[in-house]
Amino acid sequence: MDVKNAITRARRGLREERRLYIVAVTSLAVAFICLGATLLGVTNLDAAATRWGQSGRITLFLKDDADPQDIAQLRVVLEGLGDVNEVTHVTPTEARESFLEEADVGADLSGLPSEVFPASLEVTLVQGVTRERSESIATRLAQFRAVSDVESYGIWFQKLDQLLWGARMLALGLALLVMFCVVAVIGNTIRLAVARRRQEIEVMKLCGATNGFVRGPFVLEGMFQGFASALLAVLALLAGYLALHESVDSTLAALTGSRVVFLGAWTLVALLAGGAAIGAIGSAVSVRRYLSV
Amino acid sequence: MQGTKVVRPFPFFRAGARASQPQLSKPILVLEDVYKFFRPDQPTLRGVDLSVERGEFVFITGSSGAGKSTLLKLVYRELRVDEGRVLFCGRDIARLTDKSIPFLRRNLGIVFQDFRIIDHWTVFENVAVALEIVSMPQRLIRSRVAEALERVGLAGQGPEQTSNLSGGEKQRVAVARAIVPEPALILADEPTGNLDPHLAIDILTLFEEINSTGTTVLFATHDHSLISKRDHRLISIDEGRVSEAQQGLKHWQGSSGIHTLVG
Repeated sequence: MDVKNAITRARRGLREERRLYIVAVTSLAVAFICLGATLLGVTNLDAAATRWGQSGRITLFLKDDADPQDIAQLRVVLEGLGDVNEVTHVTPTEARESFLEEADVGADLSGLPSEVFPASLEVTLVQGVTRERSESIATRLAQFRAVSDVESYGIWFQKLDQLLWGARMLALGLALLVMFCVVAVIGNTIRLAVARRRQEIEVMKLCGATNGFVRGPFVLEGMFQGFASALLAVLALLAGYLALHESVDSTLAALTGSRVVFLGAWTLVALLAGGAAIGAIGSAVSVRRYLSV
Repeated sequence: MQGTKVVRPFPFFRAGARASQPQLSKPILVLEDVYKFFRPDQPTLRGVDLSVERGEFVFITGSSGAGKSTLLKLVYRELRVDEGRVLFCGRDIARLTDKSIPFLRRNLGIVFQDFRIIDHWTVFENVAVALEIVSMPQRLIRSRVAEALERVGLAGQGPEQTSNLSGGEKQRVAVARAIVPEPALILADEPTGNLDPHLAIDILTLFEEINSTGTTVLFATHDHSLISKRDHRLISIDEGRVSEAQQGLKHWQGSSGIHTLVG
């Protein structure tokens, strides 16, 4: 197949059938936006989970009347553990300052009572410590006299994992649905284009055109539709992201400690290449079915 | 392994291939005892034997439905013979695989009564399509199309939209498309059927000019006035059988009268 010639004829086809293709691309872009938005959700949940998971943190809340000697002893014990990377003592004043700095919720929180900000030891674990090990350390540390409460974030990880699994399944389901939509919509668009260009096809066949020569432009047109739909969806999502992330970022940072991220480069490449590939497949299937050459 | 013999595109049917000396000495088209049935008891063509030499101009005539178009369709493999053989340049085209048919058609120029040109394309695009399919470079396509348009009397009209042309001009575009790849054989299926008598003579003259450069022409028509004006070899199809006169109607020796002959 002469690719250059096929591209020229596909361009002519796209120009001549532009109304038909605009409708198809717009419909498919909506489907891709749904998929892209879900992927964006999964990406952000994943980023939050990764951040939390990698941090491997335990917070030991200290009693108000804890003896400084007990606290010092506790620090020595913690620093002696092989699983512990770093121990930071956070005073109630530091806890309040840190909270007020991060929590940009639009309300004056400086009047909160001092009991809300107890002193704590922030324990950072080394990389690769399992959740079970983290839980076991937390249980043992809770028995120290100076400790009032221990937060190992286990329940949060569990909930996040469930949420992430659900989101991934949703994305997978949507991806399959979008694939089906793309194949169906592009297939039908190409079918219409084949019907409208029946005479051209007949002329080319009489002049000695091979199957590849006749089918090539249709496959390229399908590929272009898939790619254009995915690109349109990515641009719409990017526009939405740029417009909203400023306002969402600080709140999310206060609530989860992570910031909003956009789709990764590989996800974008996969979305665009996938759109083009599915478009080409849908078109090839349709052309094979409706174009007997 | 037993099975259907597969005939691959043979050299002559490849783009740019030229006929060898032995091929040149053979008739360009031979039909041997050809039968074509659309209904089991009524063959459209029955036992047709025909041989066309290189460079000949042959009228094929007969009443409507006599089988003129069927005969041409067998040559460009739109239809397949039920019995007998159709040899083009010595090759049995009934045995060509589907993939080989485009290579056969690249050696043929086909012109129809209804022009079969694309109205929303320009004149240039309509003619160039016959060369684009063989992946010819654009520079060559431009010069060859310009040359073909000049031969059919449409020099300089390449950029014009085909929908703006008259019937006669449209048929000239179709002829240009047929001759631009320099085919060995031109099949014209009632090319003057949609034209007034004056234009019909013009188109016939155009085919004769093409024939004078060595291209073989099979010209199917049922137009008596057109046939009577020329002394070309005449093949008549009547009830599926062929009879012929070597030099036009004047030398007709068939059993049927002229009106039966041409419908």
